Amino acid sequence: MRPISSRRLYTVENPRKSTTLTVMTGLFTLYCLLPLGWLVVNATKSQADFVSSFGLAPGREFALWDNIVQVFTYQDGIFSRWLLNTVLYVVVGATVSTFLAALGGYALAKLDFRGKRTFLLVVLGSISVPGIALAIPQFLLFAHIGMTNTPWAVLIPSFINPFGLYLMWVFTAEAVPTGLLEAAKIDGAGEFRTFLQIALPLLAPAGVTVLLFSFVSIWNNYFLPLIMLKDPDWYPLTVGINQWNKLGSTAGNGALIQNLVITSALLTIVPLIIAFLSLQRYWQSGLSLGAVKG
Amino acid sequence: MELTATAPPRSGRQAAPTAKRRKSQIGLAFIAPFGALFALVFIVPILYAAYLSFFQDKLVGGNTFVGLANYGKLFQDPQFWDGVGRVFRFTLVQVPIMLIFAMALALALDSMRLHGTKFLRVTIFLPYAVPAIVATLMWGFLLGIKYGLFGSLNEALGTDIDPFSPGTTLISIGVMVTWAFTGFNMLIFYAALKAVPRELYEAAAIDGANEFQIVRAIKLPALRGSLVVTIIFSIIGTFQMFNEPQILPSMVANSGVTTFYTPNLYAYNLAFTGSQQGYAAALALVMAAITIVVAYAVQIRGLRNASDQ
Amino acid sequence: MRLSQKVKLLSAALVPMLALTACSGGGSGGGADGGGGDEKAKITVWSWDGTVEKAVPGFQAANPNITVEVVNAGSSQDEYKALDNAIQAGSGVPDLVMFEYFAVPYFAVPGKLADLGEFGVDKLKQDYVPAAWSDVTINGKVYALPSDYGPSAMFYNAATLKKAGIKEPPATWDEYYEAAKKIHALGDDYYIAQDTGDIFFLLSLIWQAGGRPFKVDGTKVHIDFTDPGTTKAVAFWQKMLDEGLINTKITGWSDDWNRALNDGTLATQTMGGWLTSTLPERAPKASGDFRVALMPQWQQGEKVGAANGGSSFGIPAAAEHKEAAFKFLEYFAHGGGLSSRVDAGAFVPNMSVLENDAFQSKPNTYFGDQKVGAVLAEASEIVGSGWQYPPFFEWARSIYGDLASPFYTTGKGSLAEILEQWRQRCIQYGNEQGFEVS
Repeated sequence: MRPISSRRLYTVENPRKSTTLTVMTGLFTLYCLLPLGWLVVNATKSQADFVSSFGLAPGREFALWDNIVQVFTYQDGIFSRWLLNTVLYVVVGATVSTFLAALGGYALAKLDFRGKRTFLLVVLGSISVPGIALAIPQFLLFAHIGMTNTPWAVLIPSFINPFGLYLMWVFTAEAVPTGLLEAAKIDGAGEFRTFLQIALPLLAPAGVTVLLFSFVSIWNNYFLPLIMLKDPDWYPLTVGINQWNKLGSTAGNGALIQNLVITSALLTIVPLIIAFLSLQRYWQSGLSLGAVKG
Repeated sequence: MELTATAPPRSGRQAAPTAKRRKSQIGLAFIAPFGALFALVFIVPILYAAYLSFFQDKLVGGNTFVGLANYGKLFQDPQFWDGVGRVFRFTLVQVPIMLIFAMALALALDSMRLHGTKFLRVTIFLPYAVPAIVATLMWGFLLGIKYGLFGSLNEALGTDIDPFSPGTTLISIGVMVTWAFTGFNMLIFYAALKAVPRELYEAAAIDGANEFQIVRAIKLPALRGSLVVTIIFSIIGTFQMFNEPQILPSMVANSGVTTFYTPNLYAYNLAFTGSQQGYAAALALVMAAITIVVAYAVQIRGLRNASDQ
Repeated sequence: MRLSQKVKLLSAALVPMLALTACSGGGSGGGADGGGGDEKAKITVWSWDGTVEKAVPGFQAANPNITVEVVNAGSSQDEYKALDNAIQAGSGVPDLVMFEYFAVPYFAVPGKLADLGEFGVDKLKQDYVPAAWSDVTINGKVYALPSDYGPSAMFYNAATLKKAGIKEPPATWDEYYEAAKKIHALGDDYYIAQDTGDIFFLLSLIWQAGGRPFKVDGTKVHIDFTDPGTTKAVAFWQKMLDEGLINTKITGWSDDWNRALNDGTLATQTMGGWLTSTLPERAPKASGDFRVALMPQWQQGEKVGAANGGSSFGIPAAAEHKEAAFKFLEYFAHGGGLSSRVDAGAFVPNMSVLENDAFQSKPNTYFGDQKVGAVLAEASEIVGSGWQYPPFFEWARSIYGDLASPFYTTGKGSLAEILEQWRQRCIQYGNEQGFEVS
């Protein structure tokens, strides 16, 4: 990264800030934040305040801390268990799925194999099948292998991220110069090593994107775990929170704990923000692409 | 400048036949892990669903082979076509709006001319991370006319707009979906922009190109591949719309959301409350076929435009 | 071609799947587990009733050989589907499952539930409210034990009524109609009740008026919404809606509903007795304002009731430990475990509880120290008998909203027309599913 001229204060890398542009973007940000503001405000309310005070106004008591304590102690502290399950599903699932997508995307973009087009068509075609309709066949299949009600029933489907594969394919084609790969092979590197040492670093920005999407989609995965798991000890957060929410709307002896549902939703978002922030440094401009110029 | 994205360049020179075969084996080895798991998670269940679609499982009398009867019934089912029409209309309006927002935001963020880029980037993406049930709770409040924010707005402006009447619900869902997914698409565009070598901009700047010229000549073409990707995935996502119409009826009265509001919701209700698994499977496969045709058409167009360049 | 090879390969992979569906259903269901009381067993219970868990420690102390695991089943609909899936897959079938009353026939008629007669369930009959017992009896066989009950009662906000100049809660539907007018006169936001197409409410009205629209005999179902009782109830509610006396903007269980209950703009709720336990959470601000009364009557001086909701527990035919499951079921729904559940807030249809002095005379602070138990006990005992649900009611209720919604939003059409359309759809669906519906 060489500055064009050391005398100029504003460069392509660091142009003058535009207030107009910031305000326009800020307006959209407001649209994004308004509902989240509601979430934050309402996480500070007790159940009694939640059902009786105006949505964006604070409640009579500030109950955020109480709510958090309750979230972690309700039903013998099962929330922590759900949190750990989710972390397990997310970390393993996102890592494996991103790696498989990179491997596959690389093969699609840089290697030849028989049936490539068919493969692509089948993958793209399959994601057009509504997941809801597949849930029951998937359940029956997994039940047959004896994997329902185990973490595998959630993990294995999460290893497959067709969207990630697609992104990786597109990005590999774009960002990995074939010449560089061939140079590495001429230097005697094997195909897998070339992939690991040359291609993978170049794919970092795309990889982080795919990782993040996998992360979030596994984190928010609801329908499949709902079908596959019956034991609350293996629930991810989404299923658990929904069950808490449903407690209040099933007639009978359910407890109305919307304050816990909302607080737990807020707590659920926090790790995602952290993940996002810690991953975003990989997007810093230039980065691996500098290597192209060698 | 070679930045045609969707159609990855075919590998250049033809290698010798044996090397080619070896290369093919390596390719297969690279794709195998994905392929094997994909078959387990998608292909086998899809084939099983296809098998189911030829049967009718009656509550009394058990499973009977009915041939193509489920498909025949589907094509004459006004409820199915009502849902299909709705997602088409929704796609035509919501997807362009969302993608234009997403693209504009990605360009704005990538221009580095914003104060607090990092903050804005996280904030715009955050809605994607909110679980649907909570999102619907939030919007139920924001758009509520009795105790919600929209009620106060109506009062202040003297208007009488109900965002969840049968005529307006789809628009409100559009607002919710746009909220949830703009950030997602923005990130795809953003990542694509980040993959553009910075040197190109520097060179352009040295040639005296201004910001808009750089956007038109370098950035927009660089986004074309991602645009096709996002369009296709938005179409698939919209055609499978489920969460919002499923949760809404429990929060607002008579919003016009029916059990067949979208094809996916219809499939769910058929399979889950109606015990009509075979019929639901037929519906899902037909819907998939429709989606594939539309997505394919988009892809073809995208490719043609790319080669026009 | 390569593609067809691939398809062949995949269809080969499918064969075990097909085999799997073929051999579902049967499985381990066969005979009850021989061993009687002493065998070691671990039973799984699916329930969304939080009080069942309270009975577990007492039961395990008395039956050290049986381990009970209670799984929170989430919503009823999720649970039914999960049970269907487990039965179809032939694995993971629980030993004891919670069912809303209307869902019992859905599982019992196709033979998915065990006949509890083999465990001598008949001797428990006297302990239950007759209408609840009839809810779990299908074609003369008992398939579940009632575990909680929803006798319909009128919960009313005495403060709002007072503001409207109404001294006594309406005792007849005519008085209800008059009261509705007075309440709505308090302001545009004030209504006697809300309705956005609540089928359970409408059915409870019909039920109380003597209508019996569903007649079920084996797999034969007859549906008729034109009998005198049904006609009377439907016409009355039609009048309430036509005259704008009912709030059709607020839907039950929504956030708006909570708020309207809190600020007193919804004056009454005619619902199942289970509202007693959830109302304090939904309308904490209205504490002390609400009271409970019997449903308004169709004739002055009559005492007829109806039910709205409630549930029971049954044992799947494919369950592994039926005997142990029944033991636990009897314990928490009838025997020693019942009191721990009642203490935890369960409202049960057991005569031994309902007729108990302590239950009847306990004042409830939220309801201004009213003896709520006595009212609900009476409401339970007067529930009209002979009501039946069709075996596909879960489906039927799910589509009712589709049909009712246009009427509630535009005012075009009528309840009677909606019910007729509903009947037509039920006939079509029921016959497709192998029932004989007319």
